[in-house]
Amino acid sequence: MTLLRAETRRTARPRRHASLARLERPVIGMLAVAAFLLAWQIVGSQEIIRSDLISYPSQIAATFFEMSRSGELGSNVGVTLIEFVEGFVPACVFGIAAGLALALNRRLRYLVAPLFAALYSAPMIAFVPVIVVWFGVGRDSKIAMVFLAGVIPIIINTATGVNEVSEAWIRAVRAFGAKRRQIIVKAILPGAFPAVMAGIRLGVGRAIVSLVAAEMYVSILGIGRLIQVYSNSGSAAPIFVLVVIISSFGLICVNALRVLEQRLAPWRGGG
Amino acid sequence: MSHLVVDGVRLVYDQSAGGEDFLALDNVNFEIGDGEFVTIVGPSGCGKSTLLMLIAALLRPSAGSIRLNGREALSPGWDRALVFQDFALLPWRTVLKNVELGLELKGLAAAERQEIASRHLAMVGLRAFERHFPHQLSGGMRQRVGIARALSVEPEILLMDEPFGALDAQIRQVMGSELLRIWERDRKTILFVTHDIDEAIYLADRVIVMSASPGRVVREIKIALERPRRLEIRNRPEFTAYREEIWNLLEEQVRSSGSWEEAGDAAARGD
Repeated sequence: MTLLRAETRRTARPRRHASLARLERPVIGMLAVAAFLLAWQIVGSQEIIRSDLISYPSQIAATFFEMSRSGELGSNVGVTLIEFVEGFVPACVFGIAAGLALALNRRLRYLVAPLFAALYSAPMIAFVPVIVVWFGVGRDSKIAMVFLAGVIPIIINTATGVNEVSEAWIRAVRAFGAKRRQIIVKAILPGAFPAVMAGIRLGVGRAIVSLVAAEMYVSILGIGRLIQVYSNSGSAAPIFVLVVIISSFGLICVNALRVLEQRLAPWRGGG
Repeated sequence: MSHLVVDGVRLVYDQSAGGEDFLALDNVNFEIGDGEFVTIVGPSGCGKSTLLMLIAALLRPSAGSIRLNGREALSPGWDRALVFQDFALLPWRTVLKNVELGLELKGLAAAERQEIASRHLAMVGLRAFERHFPHQLSGGMRQRVGIARALSVEPEILLMDEPFGALDAQIRQVMGSELLRIWERDRKTILFVTHDIDEAIYLADRVIVMSASPGRVVREIKIALERPRRLEIRNRPEFTAYREEIWNLLEEQVRSSGSWEEAGDAAARGD
């Protein structure tokens, strides 16, 4: 399928226009963002709509520098980042291992599949009170939230990916007398890699949402806590600063994962 | 001494999940000598591919035994190497790394693996494509990789399961001639399954004709055509006589089994 796509792409456009065509999408995207920011700036700064409700880009930028200078941004963002890493790295390790175990063990899968399906569709924020009872008010609760929210899509995607590994790849390895462990290392894990990465990308999004929500409920530090603090300040600008930081972090994570995937699995790019 | 002995092999697919047991192969007997090129033809669904899987020990026979050099083949190993109709290359590995697969499982050191794999790629004319990925190659080139991969482990016998079945007619002929050229050089024992009658005669020292389901050996036909062979040999009267003999046998099989249309298609492709 990837082959077909690559070929139609190649024949659809002559070679020398390829680099221009590649720029088309980001350029149009950036133009749209610029137009939106400009409109927002005018509507907000001219008070066409009350600026304490919607703020405007230059005000948000100013607020950003103010908050950075006072140090409150750095310390809180740092706390959130560290909590994220401390919860998400174990989620990846455990999620991949659990997904693999589930896919390779039919009875285990039957046992826990309904549970995971239920967990997958449940909003993790609903678990905050229970998590707090288990882990107390503080870092541990937030790390647990990141882990819990991130691990579920990783497990489910890994298990699905392993189940969808082509029978031909396993046959090829098995025909050379590979043992079970070698079949897993040489055929199943690399074959499931794209699905695992998709699970991790999904997990990043869910983990960030759950972390910020948890911080809003139970925390004295972190981005979520700052949102809570500024929600009574009478100005929308600080909230927008924080929202932009959170979305940038999510974007950076997802793109970094995509670059990593292209590095490790160039065979999927069709190039 | 015979090299490969297939002795009273029977295979029953156990349909314990519901439905009747299916008898795929019944009392299959034949022997192959060292360095012999033997092809198997039979109507679709006669179990000829299944037979290869049994010899490769990817399946266990329900009765009978398969011995290679006097030893029973109980598990897959490097003494038998398979070439598959769907190529079964690993898409995340380069061409060179694909050929190294069997050598890795054999436990060879990296430098040695690379040297052996390069040599075999040169043999199939793909030296310049070592760093390519399978999706960048044509079907014929992919199967050359499959053949290089199988030969690289220096098997006692090469088992080829309709290896050119997925290729178009011209490429198939070229690949057949290429295979003969390689075979003339080191006279590796080859067992080659096909439903293409011309291909079966052109390549073989001996053609084994199998019956419709359940598969049995109907006749073994020694092909007394001189080697090296050229494609023009297909127009010779002896060749035509072989073709007619095999075609009549298959037609008989197909009529008696009632699956006329399906198998007739397969046999017709041999013309």
